[in-house]
Amino acid sequence: MQWIPEYKGDVPRVERFNFLSRFTHWGHTVTFLLCLFTGLALFLDSADWLAAIFGGFHGAGLVHRIAAVAMTIVVAIFVVGNFKVLIAWIKDILRFGLNDIIFIMKFPFEFLGFKVKIPPQTKFNGGEKGNSMLTPTAVIFLILSGYIMWFPAIFPAGLVRLAYPIHDISMVLATFMVCMHGYLGSFHPGSGESFWGMWKGTVREDWAEHHHKTWYDETYGDKASGE
Amino acid sequence: MARMTNLYDVSKCTACRGCQVACKDWNQLPAVIEPFTGNYQTHESTNGDTYTIIKFMEHEDPVDGIQWNFLKFNCMHCFDPACMDVCPQEAITQTEWGAVIKDYDKCIGCQYCTYACPFEIPKYRKREDIVTKCTLCYERVEEGLEPACARTCPTGALTFGERDQLLQVAEERVKFLRANGFPRATIYGKLELGGLNKLFVLTDTPDKFELPIDPKVPGQITFWQDWIQPYFGWLIPVALAGSAVSFVTTRILANKNGDHTEGGHE
Ligand code: HEM
Ligand code: HEM
Ligand code: SF4
Ligand code: SF4
Ligand code: SF4
Repeated sequence: MQWIPEYKGDVPRVERFNFLSRFTHWGHTVTFLLCLFTGLALFLDSADWLAAIFGGFHGAGLVHRIAAVAMTIVVAIFVVGNFKVLIAWIKDILRFGLNDIIFIMKFPFEFLGFKVKIPPQTKFNGGEKGNSMLTPTAVIFLILSGYIMWFPAIFPAGLVRLAYPIHDISMVLATFMVCMHGYLGSFHPGSGESFWGMWKGTVREDWAEHHHKTWYDETYGDKASGE
Repeated sequence: MARMTNLYDVSKCTACRGCQVACKDWNQLPAVIEPFTGNYQTHESTNGDTYTIIKFMEHEDPVDGIQWNFLKFNCMHCFDPACMDVCPQEAITQTEWGAVIKDYDKCIGCQYCTYACPFEIPKYRKREDIVTKCTLCYERVEEGLEPACARTCPTGALTFGERDQLLQVAEERVKFLRANGFPRATIYGKLELGGLNKLFVLTDTPDKFELPIDPKVPGQITFWQDWIQPYFGWLIPVALAGSAVSFVTTRILANKNGDHTEGGHE
């Protein structure tokens, strides 16, 4: 059985993500997962088996904090170093329109592997736009509430108490999205090609045209502005 | 076993702070010296190395003029302790006679208990990365002794014994005080938070002693513990199961349509 769609170097390919985007994406993926598993050891009320992987609960707490700081740095690198890409990303999200709504309505079928006709999508399709709004927002809340929980003495007590449910709600929402997102960006036969966009930077030209027609046309096709 | 409680009668307390010293001594706690703040109180509140303090409070009463109150302040050993509910390590337990105690080997210093406690009593001890509080001297009590603070008290303001009996003593005392110049005298700890394993006889209303009149576990904490923690996490296995289903169905459908290689559709 095939896991990830095979990488094809001998067909025309187009660039999808620059180096910094890819570097920071995998940076926050690793740190997010480290935070997740060390945090779950507490969320699941003293899950000793999970904490044991990190050398007990004190070890897990330490890993949680190191990964948290690393993640904060990675996110900051993306925001500062890739500012133009960030703005382009936000602009693309703001193009949310009818085609995105149709995408989201038909998505459950596409997800299960049925063939459905999807209208042309911009760089990020309706589902990715949703993910681009929800997951980063949850991560920002995780970071803010996390530092409050780490240094409670310098914040008002009411805020510290609020940080606890916020940290857990954001954790669950982000993880819910990341489970589906990680699966779609790898093992899902339809969208799995996007994995190579995030890993090597390029995707198959025919896949790009097929999955993100508007983006393809504007960037590489007839409507490209000749940059 | 019957509940065993410390009764503190503020009308008999002279604020000598013998209990504070006895507690430090028994628990082998180092001195913590805080800057002078223009008040007789030694510490702002309990801290990682100070399980009990005498609080000094001044307020102006329109009738009686300046009033000066003190209060021995430490863990209340709640019947239903919020600190125990939130502890992710199950480091906090309750003895059958009502002491709420901690296992410092399990504690990871997350400080959830500090913020869940309606009185914010447990405090962080940085040097060991744990959170500490009064133990009701459970090791002493289980050996048949009194808590160190009660044993030391020279005026009889602190007494230790069965809660039912002490409650009667307290009720008598409040009656007496009300008839003798303290009309607002009251008991604290009988019903608050469903009952505290720590009783107070106060000469005035609780707010005059910086005690909440109707203490409550903070709403954020109950929301977190009763709603988010137990139920919300189920979204994660749902996402995992959905992905697993899709992993299988996409491959079955692709096989049916005979396009395994392209990894695309249409
Ligand atoms: C900058 C980022 C973060 C910081 C500063 C942070 C900090 C903290 C702190 C201080 C705690 C308290 C427990 C302890 O002392 O070890 C905690 C708990 C937790 N964290 Fe984080 N964290 C961050 C990011 C994350 C992320 C990305 C996740 C998951 C995806 C996460 C999931 C959790 C969970 C599940 C708990 C346990 C909550 C509970 O007991 O119910 N954290 N975090
Ligand atoms: C678990 C493994 C993961 C895999 C395999 C993965 C894969 C991918 C891929 C292939 C893309 C590009 C999609 C496209 O072509 O547009 C992408 C984008 C993105 N990833 Fe991940 N990712 C993972 C984890 C994460 C985590 C942990 C986060 C954040 C906490 C995250 C946040 C994002 C965001 C915000 C985008 C841009 C929006 C989108 O395309 O949905 N990813 N990821
Ligand atoms: S007073 Fe606070 S620390 Fe003591 S048992 Fe009650 S909730 Fe726990
Ligand atoms: S600080 Fe220690 S005792 Fe308090 S909730 Fe956390 S693990 Fe439990
Ligand atoms: S009961 Fe023991 S630990 Fe608690 S205040 Fe008294 S002496 Fe200190």
